[in-house]
Amino acid sequence: MKNNFCCRLSDGIGGLNVINHVKLLSMALLAAGLLAGCHTGSVNTVERAEPVARRQLIVDKRISHDPFLKQKLGIVAVNQATTPAGLLQIQVEILNRTSSYMRFNYQFEWFDANGMRVSTPASTWVTTQLEGGESKFLTGVAPTPACQDFRLKLIKSIN
Amino acid sequence: MNKYLVCVSLLAVALLSGCGSSAKYVETGSRRSVVTVGQINIQDYNQAAEAMINSLLASGVLDRVPDPPAILAISRFVNNTSEQIDIDLLVKKIRVALNKSGKAVTRTTWGLGDTAEDPLAKELEATAATTAGRMADFTLSGKFIETTVHAGRTRQSTFSFQLSLSDARGLAVWEDEKEITKQGTRPSIGF
Repeated sequence: MKNNFCCRLSDGIGGLNVINHVKLLSMALLAAGLLAGCHTGSVNTVERAEPVARRQLIVDKRISHDPFLKQKLGIVAVNQATTPAGLLQIQVEILNRTSSYMRFNYQFEWFDANGMRVSTPASTWVTTQLEGGESKFLTGVAPTPACQDFRLKLIKSIN
Repeated sequence: MNKYLVCVSLLAVALLSGCGSSAKYVETGSRRSVVTVGQINIQDYNQAAEAMINSLLASGVLDRVPDPPAILAISRFVNNTSEQIDIDLLVKKIRVALNKSGKAVTRTTWGLGDTAEDPLAKELEATAATTAGRMADFTLSGKFIETTVHAGRTRQSTFSFQLSLSDARGLAVWEDEKEITKQGTRPSIGF
């Protein structure tokens, strides 16, 4: 009687162990599947070790109200040039610091020598995307030769 | 008791009137704008115009005229999308930007099929005879193309905005293209 009870008890414990193993295995497989689905791969790049081009970098001031966006989206460098037409051209290199695909919006604003904002249809919110680890150049061209300064606004996309 | 009922009724009316409308103003082209897959949304026109204006201004081609600002005429735009398009949603933005830049002005008295955008200005022009043989330095033409694909419940639309600027010799001295691709899924239930 006692032996029977022990056998049934051990069978029960063994059964529980099997169920636990199956559950663990299922969860591990599910997690692996989910991770494989989420991780779409990051961007690898190759370029000249010593670039010929020399960027005219400018000293910038950064104000961030979204710490999450700041953490994910890095501003690598800001450089400027002048177009053949004498217009100020700004190029901002941004980097997706995560390994996930991300989408965000940006907008260039332009200011004249008096600090007054210059209105133009070209100053609109633009949606763009970055793969994990990808860097991209955001380029803006001043709408008039009178523009001396700029501001780039960045915001997380909701679409 | 009556006072209590009146208060509750007023509160209910106030709440209901507050919840009745979900309409709100949003900044045109901002991230709060509605996005649809099979249509060109206003932010798509804005983004295409932004890219074209930047490209055209950066090229410096408008400065290669003997007597600036350059004179621009609007030529044919071909619409190969599934929807009816008012080209001014794109072209007017480009015109405004070029006008404000001081790099180009648009001739409003000259159009395809002898149609003037501004007929009165055409009459004035005929009277004053100010053109003196210089009708336009450049003509702007373009094409809108839509490519749609489906895979399962996923739908994807790509809208291509192609623009060309031709000079008096008939040569395209500036050309650019902006593609905007949108993806979405159909609901599993419904039509």
